[in-house]
Amino acid sequence: MIEIDHLTRTFGNVTAVDGLTLTIAEGEVFGLLGPNGAGKTTTVRMLAGLIGKTSGEALVAGCRVGDPATARKLRGLVGLMPEEAGLYPDLSAARTLDFYGKLYRVPSGMRALRTERLLTMLELWDRRDDRVRTFSKGMKQRLTIARALINDPPVLFLDEPTANLDPEGAKTVRDFLLQLKQDKRTILLNTHQLAEAERVCDRVGIMHKKLIAVGSPDDLRGTGSAHATAIQLAVVTDAVVAAARAASRADVAVSGNTMTVPVDKPERDNPELVKAIVAAGGEIQFVSGIVPSLEETYLKLLDGEKNDGEKHDRVVR
Amino acid sequence: MNWQNVVTIARKDLTVMMTRRSLRIALVVLPLGLALLFAQIVARGNFPADELPKTLNAFLFFFMIYTGALPATIASYSMVGEKVERSLEPLLATPATDGEILLGKGLAALVPPLLAMWAGMFVLMAYCDALTHGTLGYLYFPNWMAAVAVFGFAPLLAIMAVAFSVLWSARVSDVRTAQQLAALTAIPGAGIYIALLSGAFSLDLASLAVMCGAFAVVDTGLAFAARATFHREEILTRWA
Repeated sequence: MIEIDHLTRTFGNVTAVDGLTLTIAEGEVFGLLGPNGAGKTTTVRMLAGLIGKTSGEALVAGCRVGDPATARKLRGLVGLMPEEAGLYPDLSAARTLDFYGKLYRVPSGMRALRTERLLTMLELWDRRDDRVRTFSKGMKQRLTIARALINDPPVLFLDEPTANLDPEGAKTVRDFLLQLKQDKRTILLNTHQLAEAERVCDRVGIMHKKLIAVGSPDDLRGTGSAHATAIQLAVVTDAVVAAARAASRADVAVSGNTMTVPVDKPERDNPELVKAIVAAGGEIQFVSGIVPSLEETYLKLLDGEKNDGEKHDRVVR
Repeated sequence: MNWQNVVTIARKDLTVMMTRRSLRIALVVLPLGLALLFAQIVARGNFPADELPKTLNAFLFFFMIYTGALPATIASYSMVGEKVERSLEPLLATPATDGEILLGKGLAALVPPLLAMWAGMFVLMAYCDALTHGTLGYLYFPNWMAAVAVFGFAPLLAIMAVAFSVLWSARVSDVRTAQQLAALTAIPGAGIYIALLSGAFSLDLASLAVMCGAFAVVDTGLAFAARATFHREEILTRWA
């Protein structure tokens, strides 16, 4: 549904997006993670047909990005929720959706139906005739999602949909995103809320001008960050620590009755480790894996990217 | 050009603008107030019959100059207001083209003030006719000069104001500044007024037609410049 091949955008001497290559399948929810200024918004704007590309190619729903001949068609096939709500404070919720529906050439009857359905799903139907200026931030954010869906687009771009929302508002939006996922819509979600990406996305890509890593949240957790095994014993003796150190060939941290042992591959290393500890007289009570969080992975990858500037694309599939 | 999009955008802008009380008041009070003020000056001025046609023409002309800032004021809300509310991006994300958006916004900024100007002019002309009929022995309005002023000069002045507003929008980030700049729209008219006072030319049908021609040329240039300024990519990457 979305095919991006070495997509690049520069503004003067500044490269905002650098050779982005990525494929997003139909019905997939893809999260683009990255700090401010990583090029996420520029990427979405290019893919939504709002701004041009400097080089590279991209196809969105069969339309070539940057081709003036198909730009109008492309904009009609995608829904965009920009970072800023950009609502008209003096229009009502229903009038807002009607306005955008008309611009997307949605027939009158269909417009009314979709307006009712979307506003109901997003818990705004009772406030449909109220001016947007009377809405809370969360309500405005929900209305911008409804606006992005008024043309029932097969491809949806969401730029920081839960930014600046309180936890309750963010949860409502996230729950709706999960509902959208059931519709088999292709969604590109820009976010720096890692928990959100983890919950909602099938795959995530970590971006800093270019794609640093891509994979499922589970896959990415193992990228760039070490696993560890926590072993709780009845008593931690010097012999047990020495055995664990010898088996793992790594530094062992001890805290109370728990040892934390770094391991490369838990499924391969843990049995050896357990055997060695038992052989040294250790009485094991619990063994648990410590998986790095997506946040740790994200920060480590970004840190590495910033520090060494190496041109590497770690691709996990 | 998809005219349905143009009309949709114009209607939305009109709806938004008409929710602002200050704009509604400006649209009614300025033209009507000026019409009544000028008519009162005519009523109390005891102008001799041979001076009246010149005086009435001058008032009609002043009326246009003063009310000419109205479209710029409304266009300021339309363009800079969208910029302030950050609502241009979702609008630009729709299939509507840059030209349709610009034309829709331009029409919304142009039509209500133009209708208000015309309504004020008709009030001014009707009131002046009622006041001067006895002195002149005939109805001075309507006449060819008034027709050219109302249907030629006034729309051209309004188009110029709107085109100027689009050009300012690229550089201004708040409505108040845009409105202050809107006052600059009165400069060409004020220049003509000074030229009239200095005797550089007299206000008659021929000179008004020449002015209309000159304004049409200027408007065309400004419209092209506005169209070149109102470019999707420029708006998103440089207007912010």
